[in-house]
Amino acid sequence: MPSSATLRQQIETAFQHRYPSALTPSPKTIRDVFPTGIDRIDELLNGGIPVGAITELTGPASSGRTSIALSALAQRTHEGSVCAWIDARDSLDPESAASTGVALNHLLWVRCNERAKPDRSQPNGTRIAQSWTRLDQALRATDLLLQSGGFSAIVLDLADEAIEHGRRIPLATWFRYRQAADRTRCSLVVLGKAPYAQSSAAVVVECSPAAVNSVYGTVIGDFCYRVQRKRERFSPITSIDRKPPTSTWTAQTAWEAEKRA
Amino acid sequence: MNPAPLYAAVHVAEFPAQAILRLRPDLQAGPVVILDGSSPQESVCAFNTHARKRGVVAGMTRLEIEELGNIHILARARETEAAARSVLLEALSQFSPRIEETFAVNACSFVLDIAGSERLFGPSERFAQRLRDTISATGFRASISISSNFHTARIKCEFSRGISVIPIDRESAALASVPISALHLDVDYYETFALWGIGTLGELAALPEGEMIPRFGQHAHQWLALARGDADHTFQPLEEKFELKEHIEFETHIEQIDALLFIGANMIGNLVARASCRALSLASIHIEMSLERSLIYKRLIQPAIPSEDRKFLLKLLQLELAAHPPQAAVISLTLTADAGRQSKIQLGLFAPQTPEPSRLDVTLARLKAMVGSDRVGSPALLDSHCPGSFQMQDFSVINQPRQSQQIAAPRTSLRRIRPPHALAMRIDSGKPRVFRDGPSRYEVSVAYGPWQSSGSWWDVDRWDLEEWDVMATTSIGESISCLLVHDHLNNKWLLDAYYD
Repeated sequence: MPSSATLRQQIETAFQHRYPSALTPSPKTIRDVFPTGIDRIDELLNGGIPVGAITELTGPASSGRTSIALSALAQRTHEGSVCAWIDARDSLDPESAASTGVALNHLLWVRCNERAKPDRSQPNGTRIAQSWTRLDQALRATDLLLQSGGFSAIVLDLADEAIEHGRRIPLATWFRYRQAADRTRCSLVVLGKAPYAQSSAAVVVECSPAAVNSVYGTVIGDFCYRVQRKRERFSPITSIDRKPPTSTWTAQTAWEAEKRA
Repeated sequence: MNPAPLYAAVHVAEFPAQAILRLRPDLQAGPVVILDGSSPQESVCAFNTHARKRGVVAGMTRLEIEELGNIHILARARETEAAARSVLLEALSQFSPRIEETFAVNACSFVLDIAGSERLFGPSERFAQRLRDTISATGFRASISISSNFHTARIKCEFSRGISVIPIDRESAALASVPISALHLDVDYYETFALWGIGTLGELAALPEGEMIPRFGQHAHQWLALARGDADHTFQPLEEKFELKEHIEFETHIEQIDALLFIGANMIGNLVARASCRALSLASIHIEMSLERSLIYKRLIQPAIPSEDRKFLLKLLQLELAAHPPQAAVISLTLTADAGRQSKIQLGLFAPQTPEPSRLDVTLARLKAMVGSDRVGSPALLDSHCPGSFQMQDFSVINQPRQSQQIAAPRTSLRRIRPPHALAMRIDSGKPRVFRDGPSRYEVSVAYGPWQSSGSWWDVDRWDLEEWDVMATTSIGESISCLLVHDHLNNKWLLDAYYD
């Protein structure tokens, strides 16, 4: 009586042309990661943000997406790597970035511009702003930077874009980004209100605000955020995941840290 | 022991035409004439071979040229000629540091002192061929002659085409067929020689010197020496400043950037070639254009590291012009380059990956063309208490110092709203209670403040701007933490930033 291994080999040989290695599980890829600098999130993501892949940080306003992204960039720029922030709504606060520890001279900031274009439907060629322009510029800028290579991490900040606009981004675009990120070993971090990259994303983390306290009852501080891992393609753990997919983390404000010091 | 004297003469005939046509390859296949002088008294000063075949001669008027038909007419451009002369001189300086310029009508002539260069460049024939190839590469067609006598090389070169290598003691024979006009004498002397039936230098050289001097004075001694190829000469080498400059004036004003780039590509190619000859690269290129309505357009291309990649520099030029197109039609274009020594950077074996500088330059130029040049770069904080005080600096990956301070614990960041949104606010007991941002209505749960951020230092009771840190929730339970600003001057509430 043939053993199971022999049977499997026979079946695979018979279906080789149509289904190569039909019964052999594909080897799991263990991706390089880099830490975000936030222990709870690094635990949740099995080490941090994957290198050469797309990571999505999603959630509503005040859910801590920007803080996570800046903290991750601080880690990268501290090593001497070069990063980019593609800002669809021109909302990055350089003071916050510097306070988080981002080396600003290693950060390329692309501030997308709401350029008014003449609207032919309007009388006298009235110039009106087109809401699609900023997003289009952000996508093209991401494409350029990913293709040029050399950037360790690129943050595509669509956090303030309407969900319906983000979902109109073609899947082919995300697929191209994934290929380029993989080829250039660049981590593409996408901030948004909802996940947009779908199957092209390696990791999706959903963020939400948990609580905000005050310091000495006078100033705002001690922000607490909840994060939930929604998707992780390259998880090295093949058995049942014992870790909870949800975690919380806290962030201080700059004045709070100074006061405690 | 000094080497035997040897001179190479280079003669670029019809120089006004060649200076322009080397930058206009599209015109090289047809007849072209260059007119000098002011209208209506313009006359032909130079032309190309195709025009000569059509019957064009120097001195013809514009009307006569137009009667011939289908001949491209260009105006003489002195600046272009000066730039072309520098290019030619630069090419010649590869062969000898001692170069003297000689006079020639509507031509550019140089004589090189090449004594002792046989071991570097080989025999005279090979030297002449290499010299001619180099000159051709810069876009000129030149005649070359090599002789041990300065004036023999110069005269032979002017009145012959191609390469002439004159052996020692054969100077007189080489000049025998050259017309007597090569001596540039006064008209009276030519008339006398014409009466005598003397038309060439060979016939002049055959005259007895003892009979000539009583009739013409001591000049005759020099003429005979020139005709026999044994005239003396004290070499006066040029001391030219090395300048990478190309200039062209257009006969019709150019409005299309593509057409401009077509010309610019040649000019950049020439600059790169000249810099490469000295093992240099281009560190920056200054673009200067004269526009219609007496406007001047100036831009600067500055790659991160000096480059000798012609395509890369052309791409930068294209993107620069796309981002900042000239506001009127272009009359003339000047490219001046600064030479740089270093075209490569040393990378560290264990250094993290960084973008390749040349490629990054192109990427940044593309980004600037897309979003604006002031919206791409690295933010640099200013030493100020004013909120949002930063400036954009050019992004570079070369020699950037690494951050030495330790990274702080996770911190909450702000997301600025530029420009801040105006809010409809309801205040209760001096504190914000409910506000509306577009369709969303927020109920304030906690408000910390006010923090006075702008006002008059001489009046502590009066502040123009107050900041409030606010936590608010919507009717569907969505909560936000944000920074609100109360503008007392305009009595407005503004949503300035989110804590995110």
